[in-house]
Amino acid sequence: MNKRTPKVVSEKPSKANIFSLLSPYRGMISLLVLFALLGNATNLVIPKIISHGIDSYGLGNFQYKLLITEFLIATLAIFIFTYIQSIFQTVASERVAKSLRSQVSEKISKQGFTFILKTNPSKLLTNLTSDMDSVKMFVSMAVVNIVSSIFMIFAIFTLLLILNWELALTVIAIVPIILGTFYIVLRKAKVLFKKSREVIDRLNKVINESILGSAIIRVLNSQQPEYDKFISANVEARDLGLSILRLFTILIPVIMFVANLAVVSILALGGHFVVISKMTLGDFAAFNSYLSMLIFPILMIGFMSNIIAQATASYNRIYDVLKSPDSVEKGTLIQKLEGKIELKNVSLLYDNKPVLRDISFTIEKKSRTAILGPTAAGKSQLLNLLTNLINTNTGTIEFDGNAINEYDKESFHSQIGLVFQDSVIFNMSLRENIAFSDKVTDESLKKAIETAELDDFIESLPQKLDTIVSERGTSLSGGQKQRIMLARALATNPQVLLLDDFTARVDRKTEKKILANIENNFPDLTLISVTQKVSSVKDFDLIILLMEGEMIAKGKHNELMDVCPEYVQIYNSQRSTQHYEL
Amino acid sequence: MNYNLNQANEQVQKKKSTFSVLMKLFAFISDERKNLILAYVAILINAGLSLLGPFMVGYTIDHYVSNKDYHGILLFSGILILLYITAFFSNLIQMRLMGSIGQRMLYRLRNALFTKLQDLPVDFFNQNKAGDLISRINNDTDKVNQFFSQSLMQFLGSIFTMFGSAIFLLSIDLPLGSAALVPALLVLIFTRILSPWIKRLNTANLKSTGSLSSEIQESLNNFKVIIAFNRRDYFRKRFEEVNNDNYKTALKAGIANNIFQAVYGLAANVAQLIVLALGIYLISMGHFSLGLLISFIAYVTNFYNPLRQLASLWASFQVALAAWDRISQILNMESNLLIQNDAYKDITASFVSLRDVSFTYPNGKEVLYDVNIELEKGKTYAFVGPTGGGKTTTASLLARLYDSTKGSILLDGKDIRSYSAEERSQKIGFILQEPFLFTGTVRDNIIYGNTEYKKLSNGHLDNAIHESGLETLLERFDHGLDTKLQTSSDEISLGQKQLIAFMRAVLRKPELLILDEATANIDTVTEHLLDNILKKLPTSTTRVIIAHRLNTIETADEIFFVNSGQVTPAGSLEHAVNMLLHGKRES
Repeated sequence: MNKRTPKVVSEKPSKANIFSLLSPYRGMISLLVLFALLGNATNLVIPKIISHGIDSYGLGNFQYKLLITEFLIATLAIFIFTYIQSIFQTVASERVAKSLRSQVSEKISKQGFTFILKTNPSKLLTNLTSDMDSVKMFVSMAVVNIVSSIFMIFAIFTLLLILNWELALTVIAIVPIILGTFYIVLRKAKVLFKKSREVIDRLNKVINESILGSAIIRVLNSQQPEYDKFISANVEARDLGLSILRLFTILIPVIMFVANLAVVSILALGGHFVVISKMTLGDFAAFNSYLSMLIFPILMIGFMSNIIAQATASYNRIYDVLKSPDSVEKGTLIQKLEGKIELKNVSLLYDNKPVLRDISFTIEKKSRTAILGPTAAGKSQLLNLLTNLINTNTGTIEFDGNAINEYDKESFHSQIGLVFQDSVIFNMSLRENIAFSDKVTDESLKKAIETAELDDFIESLPQKLDTIVSERGTSLSGGQKQRIMLARALATNPQVLLLDDFTARVDRKTEKKILANIENNFPDLTLISVTQKVSSVKDFDLIILLMEGEMIAKGKHNELMDVCPEYVQIYNSQRSTQHYEL
Repeated sequence: MNYNLNQANEQVQKKKSTFSVLMKLFAFISDERKNLILAYVAILINAGLSLLGPFMVGYTIDHYVSNKDYHGILLFSGILILLYITAFFSNLIQMRLMGSIGQRMLYRLRNALFTKLQDLPVDFFNQNKAGDLISRINNDTDKVNQFFSQSLMQFLGSIFTMFGSAIFLLSIDLPLGSAALVPALLVLIFTRILSPWIKRLNTANLKSTGSLSSEIQESLNNFKVIIAFNRRDYFRKRFEEVNNDNYKTALKAGIANNIFQAVYGLAANVAQLIVLALGIYLISMGHFSLGLLISFIAYVTNFYNPLRQLASLWASFQVALAAWDRISQILNMESNLLIQNDAYKDITASFVSLRDVSFTYPNGKEVLYDVNIELEKGKTYAFVGPTGGGKTTTASLLARLYDSTKGSILLDGKDIRSYSAEERSQKIGFILQEPFLFTGTVRDNIIYGNTEYKKLSNGHLDNAIHESGLETLLERFDHGLDTKLQTSSDEISLGQKQLIAFMRAVLRKPELLILDEATANIDTVTEHLLDNILKKLPTSTTRVIIAHRLNTIETADEIFFVNSGQVTPAGSLEHAVNMLLHGKRES
């Protein structure tokens, strides 16, 4: 999908083996199988007790007490064994799922931002939900059924071989046919199962977009196109489901038929043996009754193969996530940032097209810098670089003389405050949204709220800071969200504050107040502000003008007015209203 | 209106009987009646054949093998092969029919849910989490499907065989038969008592799966902030919480679901014991024979084996019921934005007029109070005011994203509630504060929902774009119309997204165009371009502009100041600025 992915992927022959999932749970799985076998074995005792009871009645030494005791003990034992088995079954499958989910989230949490963009959240969501379900099904049903089926098949075969090896070998002849059918069906199913998971990703995505875009969909009355997109994914899901169904509905009848064929051939062949007196009638009858016991376990394996195939497809997808390389954390430097920033010949490519070209500038500590430029000039990308969310393709970024990558990410990020252009609000209380870091003290929280001019707003809420904000912050106005984002960044007491178009949704009066508050409350701060408004940054120490990924000019306002016609153009475009803006 | 699925209709569900729920589900496969009957016939044939096979083998052994009649053996072997071939086909038909009925039902359920989602207003999405909705559409429908395609026929088949065997047992010997059925009766009572509890546990588990899904959804979509604020631990912690919760609820539900299996097995064995003990007693009294007892025990097994099967099916039935509840919560939601059949037209009204409009959000916060404004055709209006003052709410009411709680809004003299969705969206263009892009190309996005331009070739579309003066904006995208876009991508900036939203709205040439801070993140030079484009719109176009930047609104014919629930004419720009600078901020 993404061209920037290095080609290491091809050298990954290690395929996921779903059975390896079980190894940490060996003990529990063995107990599970043990109790299943115990339950089955005790079940076989019941007919014995019944026939014994009837026989002893015929012989005249029948005792109610003995019969009832024996019977009740066996019954209770079966009850206990089956229930314990089912508990183990549930516990084992849920534990496997829980730990797999933890592993995946662990993995995701260690990844960089680019990983999430590349893998796309819809797929990760399927990984953590539907894919886990199939794995669970595998653990809870497939393992115990396969083990007891195989056990039964071997036991019955042994009995058959003892009874009559020639006939037994005839029965064994059906094994390759059954295995062959399995092989063909499962090989085809593997591809289909993989596809069917991918369709679920697509469904997730369409639903997701239709939810996040619900407002614009209603404004444009475009429910129909959304529905069309959904239908196409849903039709595909249905058709894949039907193809898978067709495959497996071949498998089961074929197995049944082949097994029944074995019954017929034994009837004919064994009958022949009896006719020529090579076999006694009693042995023949016994052979037949054992043979009929063989069909159920074979059929069970057929059903379970479906579950295994599905789980394998899912597990492979989960495994791919688990095996993706961790983002490399080379940085170890832990040091208090002074705030001097130097960019040397920085370039950035997105899908081989340059977003930033050969940018160099120096920002002094405790200074104020503005980045100006038209839409799509690369301003936000520059901020992403400065916060180490993404890496440069060429060139270096240095903080206090050390390359940005040398810093320990954790300590680095804790000293940088970034206010994103788009508001990211979590469905938690306002307090948690603002104090989005465990290092935030009550005092710094208070200072951040004051600086962002949020105290009036918070005071007006009945539950103050403990008000729960809805997902995507739908209960807040644009300006309120933006100020919450600012407070969140300030609450960590950053050394460097980066504002991405912060003023866009805040009125002029509030903006002025906030900028003044920042100067007063955070005097040591190095401030970098991406903005459109010249008037707010006239007195800044440095103004950088970006256009189409290139730095056109840098300097103070007055200098740029003298040397840079593009800057003058921007200035003029805003001048007509300047006299209102004090 | 309360649209919160996790709070709503808890009382409503309880009233519904299992039977009526089943009937509702059957509505989704109502046109499959023929297939259902066919499948059921196939199941009966299959069941008959699977009983007939062993019987014929036994018959052959008794009559031909023991008599050493090889011809008879071969004859019956031939018959058996024919029988098994028939069984092969009936088996195939049965599985295929039932499976495909299930798949089609899943398909229909998902469609019905998605269609319902499209019918519901924005309010619904504000009150529910995306992840939970996705979980309901994908996960819960699948649970219903699993029961239907895999278990329903077995379920019906088992009940059928059970009834047959029960009648058989009772007709052979009434007292012994009734005694044999006592454990089944107890199990029935046990099931009835336990089922609501088990369903509750399953509901809790599905709900927790929904929260797990919401948590993943929210965290992954906001991953940028998690990284920048170095809160990976936080993501892990929050995830661990929902993960643990899901584990616990799943464990409880799973263990509860498995109770049936063990208890039904117990009942079957106890029944055998009762028959054996009572049978021997009856024999000793001379009321019964030993041979009859032996076959009676076998018949008891015939009754209890399907009952055991029912046990595992019953659990998956409870899961399906719980899932269906969650699905029907959505299906039962009704949009509160109904179209009114109101033909009354006030010819004296201006193009848009708000009459005594008040608006209160569902959480009880009053945002607008008794607003009266008139907007005329072809004029440009600006709404200014502090953040949180009610500007976006006013605009949303104009586009009928919500209905006002009191008062009415007239568009062209007619109540806005009387317009069909098509008419309304044709007349009103609204550029939302937060632009949203759909996965696809720039072309897909700017003609999104535009039925008129949908069929145009790239060339014709180019012309339309040129006429509207939008071509300079397209230059901001690397591959012009064919530039690929992703909803959750950061590869294009907010400013670019706003440009696309702008083009999308302008191309539709609406009569009323609302720009809600639509150009906030666009540089001022480009903004002049946008101004010129707006000027190219037909002169009858009414524009409503919400902005913080004063140069965006200086050309407005009239400026309204929006604050503290009031919308008041500001007179001049200077006056508006004064109000902005000196008025007390509401938020």
